[in-house]
Amino acid sequence: MSAHLWIRRLSRTGVLLVAILALVWVWRHFVPSLRHLAYFTGWALLGLMIFLTLYNARKKLPFLPLGSSRLWLQLHVYLGYFSAALFLAHVSWRLPQGGFEITLALLFVIVAGSGVVGLWWSRYVPGRLTSRGGEVLYERIPLIRRALQDRAEALALESVTTGHTTTIADFYSTQLADFFRGPRNFSQHLFAGDQPLNQLRARMEDLGRFLTPEQKQRLDELGALVQQKDSLDHQYALQSSLKWWLFVHIPLTYSLLLATGLHLILVHGFSLGATTR
Amino acid sequence: METTHLRIARLSEEDAAFDPAFADADAERLLAVAPFKDMSLPADQLRRILQNHCRVRRFRSGEIVVRSGDYGSSAFLVLSGSVRVVLQPGLPESMLGRREARQRSIWRVIAQLWSSSAEPEVRKPAALAPIVGSTISEAGEVRVFLQDVPRILSQHKTATLGEGEFFGEIAALSRMPRTASIFAESGEVELLEVRWQGLKALLADQKFQHRIDDLYRKNVLSSALRAIPLFQHLSEAQHEVLKSRVEFGTFGSYGWSGEYKKLAQKGTLNPEIEQLIAGQNTAAAGLFIVRSGFARLTRSFGAGQRTLNYLGAGQIFGLREVLHNWLRRGTETPLLLYQGTLRALGYTHTLFVPREVLEELVLPGLPPALRPAAFTAEELAEDDEDPSLDLGAQQPGIGPEMMEFLTANRIFNGTATMAIDLDRCTRCDDCVRACAATHGNNPRFLRHGPSSGRIQIAQACMHCVDPVCMIGCPTGAIHRDSRRGNVVINQATCIGCSTCSNQCPYEAIRMVEVRNAKGAFVTDESLKPILKATKCDLCLEQYGGPACERACPHDALRRIDMTSLDRFARWINP
Repeated sequence: MSAHLWIRRLSRTGVLLVAILALVWVWRHFVPSLRHLAYFTGWALLGLMIFLTLYNARKKLPFLPLGSSRLWLQLHVYLGYFSAALFLAHVSWRLPQGGFEITLALLFVIVAGSGVVGLWWSRYVPGRLTSRGGEVLYERIPLIRRALQDRAEALALESVTTGHTTTIADFYSTQLADFFRGPRNFSQHLFAGDQPLNQLRARMEDLGRFLTPEQKQRLDELGALVQQKDSLDHQYALQSSLKWWLFVHIPLTYSLLLATGLHLILVHGFSLGATTR
Repeated sequence: METTHLRIARLSEEDAAFDPAFADADAERLLAVAPFKDMSLPADQLRRILQNHCRVRRFRSGEIVVRSGDYGSSAFLVLSGSVRVVLQPGLPESMLGRREARQRSIWRVIAQLWSSSAEPEVRKPAALAPIVGSTISEAGEVRVFLQDVPRILSQHKTATLGEGEFFGEIAALSRMPRTASIFAESGEVELLEVRWQGLKALLADQKFQHRIDDLYRKNVLSSALRAIPLFQHLSEAQHEVLKSRVEFGTFGSYGWSGEYKKLAQKGTLNPEIEQLIAGQNTAAAGLFIVRSGFARLTRSFGAGQRTLNYLGAGQIFGLREVLHNWLRRGTETPLLLYQGTLRALGYTHTLFVPREVLEELVLPGLPPALRPAAFTAEELAEDDEDPSLDLGAQQPGIGPEMMEFLTANRIFNGTATMAIDLDRCTRCDDCVRACAATHGNNPRFLRHGPSSGRIQIAQACMHCVDPVCMIGCPTGAIHRDSRRGNVVINQATCIGCSTCSNQCPYEAIRMVEVRNAKGAFVTDESLKPILKATKCDLCLEQYGGPACERACPHDALRRIDMTSLDRFARWINP
């Protein structure tokens, strides 16, 4: 990363830290004098959460002149971090009590946590996809997988008709048919593990010792298809993960907003006369 | 087994004549009029050129012959009657039979929330309706008639061209857009349209060549030379001398896109097949200025050529070598040869200023700021294959592999190339969705394309400097927008011939079958679906620029002008 980018990132982080320190200072100095500080922090948090949720709406309305998605993401990230500090101030820096409070707090933690993990993952995975190569459109993966499966099956069948032996076909049906049938080794691909592919390669190498040169050539062709399928699985696993984390982050955001609405009704409905910090 | 061959007649030039109905009598008649009667070419050859590459066209009063901004590939000779050239101000788009793309009102922008159809490629009847004042002939050519010609004559500066005068030859030969609109003035005007192949063949005649050169020098060269900083310190008299001694050159293939596509598919593209303009280690005979198109600057490396840069309009080659030799005049230092090779990329039009002219007129008073540094002894002592040698055109921040990739894939042509940084792109397809949402649920690009390292060039219209897609469009439906210069397609006049789609070397134009609001296919009388060409329009009608770029959360997608690589270099090296 260039010095220019570092400076930009550090200055934004600096502004965030100053804002959090200011929040802590305000909380420490005004808690004794402001009886209803929790109302202020709560409403501020709700406003912030609504603003953070609006980013998804911005994505759905690309034709409106609402600023670039890049700017929105930066605001989303830094205000998201600030909202976590505001949340802590709102709960007075202590663990929540009671079933509803705990559920609400858990929802907040999962939404915020999935956001942080998702952001890190979104920065980490693209480079891995690029460095491995074999770039492919996500929607085309099933098509390509099917084509690879057909070619592998055809190779195995050909080995029977031309080689008059079922060695490769048997190997295909016992070791490779399942591999070609669908996405495989998802978690190994996510965490950069090569073990399944190396195992398959080792088995194919073993088999190669018992084949004629023509059969060996066919097995090599099959090996190339295995390599391609593995690359495809790698693309599938990483691209899926880049999409799927949002299926945690976004629906839980709406659940959190609903629960917050309920929290608001409860607080305003049942806290008349109560002294709240 | 007996094999039966299908036998067909071998095609000849005559089979692909511009006008198959061109009669012998027409040729005889033309041979008797100027400029053909004065040509020194053999009569048979001239007759063949006329029969194969010319057609007689008749225009009625007020009918537009050529429109400003169109990419025509033919020139015209006035046979009878007269035409008017609209000089200033140019005619508005609506008068030229084009539907001007206007920015949508904020209400229409908001209405996209509910007005986009769930069916693909839906067109409203108004979008397909013919434009007032224009008709499409049976041959598929658009015929536009100006309304209220006297008012146009009073409000615009015009010039008359009469019998025997040529026009449109510069645009046809150099493949630049037409600079003015021209319409028929008298009752019925008869014009001879000569396609560029014919024009090139006619240039074999010395007199005709001089005539075209004179027209070029008179109409274009003066302003072109004045726009080049290198010549701005010259006096009026020096300018005249320079103008008279500049030489023109056209290199490469006019229809390069088709050839390029074939070679790219075969994987046999390499610099050596491109036409040589000036070779490394040949005498530095002068300065080349790229007038239009592109040229590749290479230096020998191993057994091949390594690309250092590509030169676009206005960029120069050879000045540093000429200057180096001039500074050492009178000494015994051997003359320095060209240190790189220049080749035509596609179709390249150059101006050549001979060394003597530079030494006599340009170099003595050249301001120091424009004077490139002479080669140092260290530079010249370095390995002959040193790719880092500065020939005055290298781009810092772009590695040799990237330069090779950009050149081999002809990416330099784009003024709004969609570049994706794959190290930042999360493959979320927000860009595709944003594009679809702003175009009635129809994405206008594919997030897929050639890549080098972490940079991918997506299949999206690049709004080329040299838009080969426009060549041959029979109705001028694909044209440059007058406001921003974007290449856009007029849906009302697109006849679905696929010429633009086939010409585009980047596979950025798609032909689609259009539907009505109910989702039914729009068909012609014989129930064949109506096709229209579609492509990225850079969100011309929307606010805030291209939706794809604005939709990318990670700054992974940019629309970049690749004719100058500064912005690209800054983006990939943040």
